[in-house]
Amino acid sequence: MISILGSTAIAAAAVSSLAGLIFLLRGRGRGDQRLIDRGHWAVIALFVAVTAAVVALEVALIGVDFSVRYVAANINRATPLLFRIIGLWGALEGSILLWAWVLAGYAALVAVRYRGRHQETVPLALAVLLGITSFFLLLMLGPANPFGRLSPAPPDGRGLNPLLANHPLMAVHPPFLYLGYVGFAVPYAFAVAALLSRTLRDEWMTVTRRWTVAAWSFLGAGIILGAWWSYEVLGWGGYWAWDPVENAAFMPWLVATAFLHSVMVQERRRLLRLWNHALIIVTFLLTIFGTFLTRSGILGSVHDFTQSLIGPLFLIFIGAVLVFSVGVLLLRRDEVRDTGSLPAYVSRESLFLLNNVVLLAIAATIFIGTTFPLLAEAVAGVKLTVGPPFFNRLTVPLAMALLVLMATATLLPWGPAPRGALRRFVGPGLLSAALVAVLSVAGVRGLTLGALAVIIFAAAAQLAEFHRGARAMGRAEGRPYPLALVALFSANRRRYAGYLAHLGLALALAGVAASSAYRTESDHTVSRGEAFSVPGYLLRYDGAALSRHPDKLVVAAAVSILPPTALEAVPSRPAAAVPALATLYPSERLYPQQRTPIPTPAVRSTWRGDLYLVLLAVGPDGSVVLKAITNPLVPWIWTGGLLMALAGLISIWPGRRG
Amino acid sequence: MAGTARLAGLFAVIVLVAAASPAPALARSSGLDEQVRAIASRLRCPVCQNESVADSPSELAAQMRALIRTKLEQGESPEAIVAYFVSRYGEWILLDPPRQGLGWILWTAPVVVLLVALAVAVAFIRRTVRPGEAAAERPESGGP
Repeated sequence: MISILGSTAIAAAAVSSLAGLIFLLRGRGRGDQRLIDRGHWAVIALFVAVTAAVVALEVALIGVDFSVRYVAANINRATPLLFRIIGLWGALEGSILLWAWVLAGYAALVAVRYRGRHQETVPLALAVLLGITSFFLLLMLGPANPFGRLSPAPPDGRGLNPLLANHPLMAVHPPFLYLGYVGFAVPYAFAVAALLSRTLRDEWMTVTRRWTVAAWSFLGAGIILGAWWSYEVLGWGGYWAWDPVENAAFMPWLVATAFLHSVMVQERRRLLRLWNHALIIVTFLLTIFGTFLTRSGILGSVHDFTQSLIGPLFLIFIGAVLVFSVGVLLLRRDEVRDTGSLPAYVSRESLFLLNNVVLLAIAATIFIGTTFPLLAEAVAGVKLTVGPPFFNRLTVPLAMALLVLMATATLLPWGPAPRGALRRFVGPGLLSAALVAVLSVAGVRGLTLGALAVIIFAAAAQLAEFHRGARAMGRAEGRPYPLALVALFSANRRRYAGYLAHLGLALALAGVAASSAYRTESDHTVSRGEAFSVPGYLLRYDGAALSRHPDKLVVAAAVSILPPTALEAVPSRPAAAVPALATLYPSERLYPQQRTPIPTPAVRSTWRGDLYLVLLAVGPDGSVVLKAITNPLVPWIWTGGLLMALAGLISIWPGRRG
Repeated sequence: MAGTARLAGLFAVIVLVAAASPAPALARSSGLDEQVRAIASRLRCPVCQNESVADSPSELAAQMRALIRTKLEQGESPEAIVAYFVSRYGEWILLDPPRQGLGWILWTAPVVVLLVALAVAVAFIRRTVRPGEAAAERPESGGP
């Protein structure tokens, strides 16, 4: 029943999509406003239909309707409600449905918001969005049908991949990622529409700025939440492995970051028109490519992906988008000629160009590293691995260059540098020199010290700009400093939110640098009541307990954190008598759908860093093997990354001055 | 709940097996631990997706770490140990592909991209700079 409803909804969505395409293109061609209006309604009908399909699949998931193959393959009766709901993005077909739903939602928002405005461009932009949606609907009508039936229905399902059912972050990471990924379709559609209609030559990116920044923020948040999930669930004490799935999300974010900066040069100087079109096209292509990488099965093996039509269909779609976009650019090459000029060799404008060079070099490095093993296997039949050493060695120096550019471009104004501009470097320079000296006394050495020096300088430059602006405003308007700071921010939200995002990046990278350099890891075999120490902590193992849950069995070890000097003060005191500061419960979880237990780490976070415990094994005598990792400044990564995303959203929040 | 009991039994067996397999000994010498970790993080866990031998929780990775430790204790050099794993699994096992043959392309391509992009940007700046022409200048308030 549900699967008939769902399939009908998807068919209705496909019909709306096609009808909308015809209405919009014909209406625009004939200048018929009524047809265009119908096109807008068709977009809304499309959104309603895809929403109905999502509701149908959710009803099947929540109601454990195993006559739907997707439900039977991905959840079981023991799956808790939250994880039944998020089963929507637990596997391929549901993810494609989510993609289509988010895209239809964005298209409906565009249709509502721009009704009767930009008449030359919006119908074309909507047509582009409908074209993209049609591809995903086609996938669901064919090889990725979420409503395929299973007859007879099995008594129980297979259950969600335990790694996905193990942490609530799985409920938020994929939606944010998809909101970001798919969001770039809107500026892409407007970029193409502006070219085709020969209007909005410099305005398309201003029109779509909010959409672009929103997509960038969501994607950034999605990446950070994904890293956090991997840290909390996978039990290796790391957050980023340069896994192709991670890279697939990171590449469009990097190119979009380049785009967000270079559009400012176009806005001011009427330059980089072709370049900005190219950047948004590449960003959009990378989102499709990322979906292809993660959803076609090509990562398992190059030879896997021909098993299903999905991989080849994706490749054809990517090729079509590429040919279409480049074709439009060539067709309208006169429209994208630059008319402006740069005022000086050394200026914020030039630094933005270099920022683009570095961001693209990072993206290209990741692209090469991610695709190289696939190409080597497909073309030369050679199996090789490109792992973290490659990515780290090439991207870390580039990231440092990026930070230097970021600090310098923040301190220099637009246009030719005025006399005395160098003086702006003194304050942040002195502040960071002092902090670096402190770090050096504290024993930080070598490359880590160098990296932290660059990071601190980049952060200090942002703070200096806040300070300079607030002081000037306070003097001019006679306000006390804190109020001046607030007034400054709200009067120039876009600019200072940008600096806030820079600050977030510096925080996150400080976390990355510290946790990469000063992580410690040790294994301990301990019996009940035994105390052991890891750098910075005194711990005691208090015994293990088995508990049964509807969907899993859990063996948890209780590990108490003791005051670090508790045993030194009174050496004769038994460890068991010391009162605990806190207790952590690292566990092993056994899900019936998986043969091996999944170690689930326990993490205690403070602003200085994390203690990360993993239960490796439980012996017959009640002793356990624990892995203890200390990871300095890791919470800074989540804070800084989410601050960046938040800053993006702050900058576009509707208000007095967008 | 016979199913749960069976599960519990299975779980106990797995935990026992895990405990019986070469368990990491109490840190004998942290120097040795560091060396094992350094070598293990250069090798790919053969049964995992994109995890190093150092980070993988799999049994095979644990055995490989134990083997690395044994070989180090027998006085083998890190390079010899890595070469041993390459001879058994092929170069695929190296997370850091060698800088020769195909790997050479991999390592130079990003550098070439960077240099070309840099050259294009510098050429663009030289071509477009016209000092004194304050075209389309707007107040700074719209800043980044």
